[in-house]
Amino acid sequence: MSYIRQTQRAGLLFLAPYAVSFFVFAILPIVLSLVLSFMRFDLTNQSAAGFVGMDNYREAYADPYFWNAVRATLFFAIMIVPGLLVIGLSMALGMNAMARGQHQVRALIFLPAMLNVAVTGILWQWFFNGQFGLFNFLLKGLGMGPQPWLSDKGFAMPSIVLMSVWWSVGGTAIILLTALQQIPVMYFEAASLDGASTYQLFRRITLPLLKPVMSFVVITTTIAGFQMFGQAFMLTRGGPELSTRGVVQYIYETAFNSYRMGYGAAMSWMLFALIFGFGIVQLRMMRRTV
Amino acid sequence: MPFRTDWGIKGAIGVLATVVVALGIGRSLDSGVVPIGKQKVSLTFWNGFTGPDGRTMLEIIRDFNRENPDVEVSMQRMDWATYYNKLMVAAMDGRGPQLFVVHASTLPRMYRAGYIADSSSLYSGSEAIPPSDFDPYVLEQVKFNGKYIGLPLDIHPQGMYANADDLKAHGIVDSQGNAKLPANKAEFLAAIDKLKTPTVWGFALTLWRNNFQSLMPQFGGRYLDEQGNADLNNPGNIAALSFLGELSRKKLIPPPENGLGWVGYRQHKVDMVWDGVYMLGDLKRLEGLNYVAAPIPQIGPKPGTMADSHVLCVRQGISSAQRDAADRFIRYLSQNSIRWASAGQVPARKSVRELPEFAAMPVQSAFSKQIPYMMYPPRTTVLFELTLEIDVAVEKVIRGTADAKTALDLADANAQKAIDRDRREAKSGVTP
Repeated sequence: MSYIRQTQRAGLLFLAPYAVSFFVFAILPIVLSLVLSFMRFDLTNQSAAGFVGMDNYREAYADPYFWNAVRATLFFAIMIVPGLLVIGLSMALGMNAMARGQHQVRALIFLPAMLNVAVTGILWQWFFNGQFGLFNFLLKGLGMGPQPWLSDKGFAMPSIVLMSVWWSVGGTAIILLTALQQIPVMYFEAASLDGASTYQLFRRITLPLLKPVMSFVVITTTIAGFQMFGQAFMLTRGGPELSTRGVVQYIYETAFNSYRMGYGAAMSWMLFALIFGFGIVQLRMMRRTV
Repeated sequence: MPFRTDWGIKGAIGVLATVVVALGIGRSLDSGVVPIGKQKVSLTFWNGFTGPDGRTMLEIIRDFNRENPDVEVSMQRMDWATYYNKLMVAAMDGRGPQLFVVHASTLPRMYRAGYIADSSSLYSGSEAIPPSDFDPYVLEQVKFNGKYIGLPLDIHPQGMYANADDLKAHGIVDSQGNAKLPANKAEFLAAIDKLKTPTVWGFALTLWRNNFQSLMPQFGGRYLDEQGNADLNNPGNIAALSFLGELSRKKLIPPPENGLGWVGYRQHKVDMVWDGVYMLGDLKRLEGLNYVAAPIPQIGPKPGTMADSHVLCVRQGISSAQRDAADRFIRYLSQNSIRWASAGQVPARKSVRELPEFAAMPVQSAFSKQIPYMMYPPRTTVLFELTLEIDVAVEKVIRGTADAKTALDLADANAQKAIDRDRREAKSGVTP
């Protein structure tokens, strides 16, 4: 047996534990969910299980609750992606310009991202509390009346977005800061010698060279935005009047409260198609402009 | 041959790691049936008693284990939402616990899933728990196709809690000078008005849907008609929901954004609330709140409240030794349900409620007065869909975005769709 072949075999053996778990906990469930999506499979009525073709997909297409959840999810994604990008980029530019203390600020900014969604949700429940909450307390100090942060349909989703931005902007800022630090300084020096203004440096050098990383950020935050679940579940449970119930929460409730696994799986694949479609469009648009 | 040795070590580690992972997976996929030892029968008991009630249950289990050295009951508790998911999935292929607790309202789904064993034996034989020791309406909840599929441990009706000190301070007292909780609509509205100050509300809704469900029977409301079709928009339900809507519209309860409810009551910002008897455990931990309890006041033409029960069930397919041990444990729990009552429950057995110890539990005994006219959630396999529709309808009316009839008409139509779909799908298979 050749050296390369033997090394390959050893490598495969090392990979085996992960490969087994990846197959069991990722590939297998994905395949099973695809099969399930074409089945009627109610945990409380397993004797009625069977293939129903596209029925689950047709039901989702005609289900107003599904489209209500899609609307809520889109609303969330549309608000959070630019929010994270703009705030994250601003923070990255600020940190990049710092001569001292950058490491400390970076650590502080990343801190919220280390909290899990349950802790973040409970914390922000208190911030948003109508009577004792921090935000209404601050508004009172400014002479303004209390706001229904989570109990009004017009406020609830923006409030969830606000919490989500606070929670995850640290990670986005760090990624963008790393990308900023990869841009060779000589570009800026040369442009400055040619008389470029600060805005021109940003517009003509920083932004174009950041675009590959920005497209990565946009695509990953869009995917995360479409998968929004924990934030709304912790803050509003999908209310008021289901206005913040996203697709993932609806899938969860269908599968684990109504126990309709087949229908839940079909909606999961529809969500996947939606994310995939958005991802492709975004990728093409970014490629065109990079 | 240094290379061969090196490869051998790497390979051995790789194989070992694979075996470890495979064993782990194998273990996670095993049947989960506890092997029966020569001496002891092991039983796993799952429930959702995560509050102070869980500690009481644990103490009862410890005593049972001590008194029954041949049986080892181990309890696992998790919050109810997670609990039902895990129970359903675990039980799907026979990996569930041998013993478990479910709410009476969830029994139709659990029963249809086919893994709850017939427990009729508990009610017959030399050690029988007499069916006559239960209220017929309560026992009816666990009866399916002529068989008892569990034993009701308790009843948890909704009732009224009030701040006794504030009631006294506002002169809402009886002839002995004790706080007098309102018993009818006129007294209730007068008390709300009298107790309201710039910082304290006389009354607040807690769980909106449950508060509505407590009023439904008072107005003759119901969930389903005799054929099992949705009947959420019946005149009784509309009247009950309209009353709550009026409270909100007239600003007699805190606005929805205020967030006051049970928390407000605990913090002396609300004087009266309607909630379950199980909230007593929370109140007992508080200092400085002089609470008093009574039945829900009669707002409609007749008294009424909502209730549910924790039901002790046994999984199908367990060994006869485990079944015997499980029956013994269920009987023990039922016989000792006065201890369980101390955790904030009303015992399901009439003989236990007649004990002097129960009479000495003021909240539990006050709530138990509602047993003759309480109403359980509907016996339906689409309970989640139905309650979601009620949730949305109640929310709309309290927030003032729809009137009761419009909100309940839509809820009824949506609930009927779920019922129709469930019927259609159930016909495709053989339901137990």
